[in-house]
Amino acid sequence: MHIDTRERNYIVLSVLLMLIFATALMVSAFAYGIQVPVPYERVDPRTVATPGASPWGNPVEERVRELAPNKYEAYILAQAWVFLPNKITIPKGSSLTLYVTSKDVQHGFNIQGTNINMMILPGQVSTLTATFDKPGTYNIVCNEYCGVGHQTMYATIEVQP
Amino acid sequence: MTSTTTPAARPSNPFTAPVWLIFYSLLALVALFVGIFIVLRPVVVLPRITLAPGFRLTDQTGAQLSNEDLRGSITLYTFTHTGCQDNCPQTSAVMAQVQARLDELNTGDIPVRLVTISIDPENDTPEQLAAYAAQLGADPAVWQFVTGSPVQIKSVVGGGFSVYYNTREDGIRFDPAFMLVDGAGLWRAEYRTAVPDVDIILRDINLLAEEAQHADGPSRLAYEAAHLFLCYPR
Repeated sequence: MHIDTRERNYIVLSVLLMLIFATALMVSAFAYGIQVPVPYERVDPRTVATPGASPWGNPVEERVRELAPNKYEAYILAQAWVFLPNKITIPKGSSLTLYVTSKDVQHGFNIQGTNINMMILPGQVSTLTATFDKPGTYNIVCNEYCGVGHQTMYATIEVQP
Repeated sequence: MTSTTTPAARPSNPFTAPVWLIFYSLLALVALFVGIFIVLRPVVVLPRITLAPGFRLTDQTGAQLSNEDLRGSITLYTFTHTGCQDNCPQTSAVMAQVQARLDELNTGDIPVRLVTISIDPENDTPEQLAAYAAQLGADPAVWQFVTGSPVQIKSVVGGGFSVYYNTREDGIRFDPAFMLVDGAGLWRAEYRTAVPDVDIILRDINLLAEEAQHADGPSRLAYEAAHLFLCYPR
C-alpha cells in the first residue's frame, strides 16, 4: 500500500502526539499524584446565608478566622454584587484557606496579580489555600458577568508587613 | 514503466497489521481495565488528606501521650472541654457511642483508639479530665483525654487539624469535629459536624483496617489504583 510521504508524516505525528499526551497523563497521575478536581462540598444556596446554618451564616466579622498563628480561613459569600466579608486583613506569610460560595447567581473570584481564580457557583463551595508572602493590598474581583452591578463587585485582602 | 514500483519491489513495512493490532489491543485492554475499575470500584479507600499533626500532650493520668504512641493504631480524635454543658456541641456523647460499638468492628489485631483533646487547657487539668472521663464511662485503655499548654493545643487543633475554637470571656466556642487518623499517621477522614453518623465512622475504621491488612504485595497495586481513581466511599 502506497502512502504519500506527507500523509505518513502526519500520521506518525498524530500517533506520537497521542503517545506523548498519554505519557504525560501517566507521569502526572502516578509520579506527581495529581488528581482531578472533585466537588469539595455542596450547600443549599437558599439557606446558606441563614445565621447558624453554615459558616457563611456567621456575622461577617466572624467569617475570617485565625486557626493558629499565621493560619487563617475565610468563608466568603458572593452575592449580587458584593463579596462578604469584603476586607480581609492577614499578616505577611500567612496561609489563607478560602471557602467561597454564592447565594444567587454564578460569580467569579480572581485575586489580581496572582493565579488565584475560581468560579463561584450557587450550591457549590470553591476552596483554595494560598500563602501571602508579599505585603500589600490584593484586589479580589468578580470576573464572571453576574448582572448590572458586576463591575462594582470587588473585595480586598490586606497583607500587613 | 511508471515511477510507482511494483509491490514486490517495495521494502516490507514492519508496521503493518500485527504490531499495530497488538499495540491497539493492549491500549484497549488497559482502557477497559481502567473503565471497569472506575465503574465497579472493587476496592474502596479513604482519601489521604495529609499527615496528621504531631504532638506530645498530657493525658488524664498525667502521663505523656504523643502521636508516635498512636502509630499502628487507628485513632479517632475529637475536641471539647469539660465545661461543655448546654448549648455546646456534645462531641463526647458521640465518642461514647463509638466506644460502645467498638466490638462491632473487625479490625483484626489493629487497635482502635479514641482521643479527646481539651481545647480549654487553662482549666482542664489532668485530674479534671480524669473525673470527666469517669463520668462518661471512658475505658482508659481505649479512650484518652489529653491537655497541654494553650500554645501546644492551638498548634495541634487549629494548626494541624484546622479546627477553629476561641476562648473568650463569654465562653468557649468551637466547631465540632471528628478526625480519623490511620496507623501510619496519615489523616484519612474528617467529620465536621456535631452529630456524625456513627455507622459511617465505624465503616471508615473498617475500611482503614482492611487497607492496612491487605495492601501489600500485588494487591497493593489495587489499593493504589483505588486512590488514583478516587474510589472513595459514597
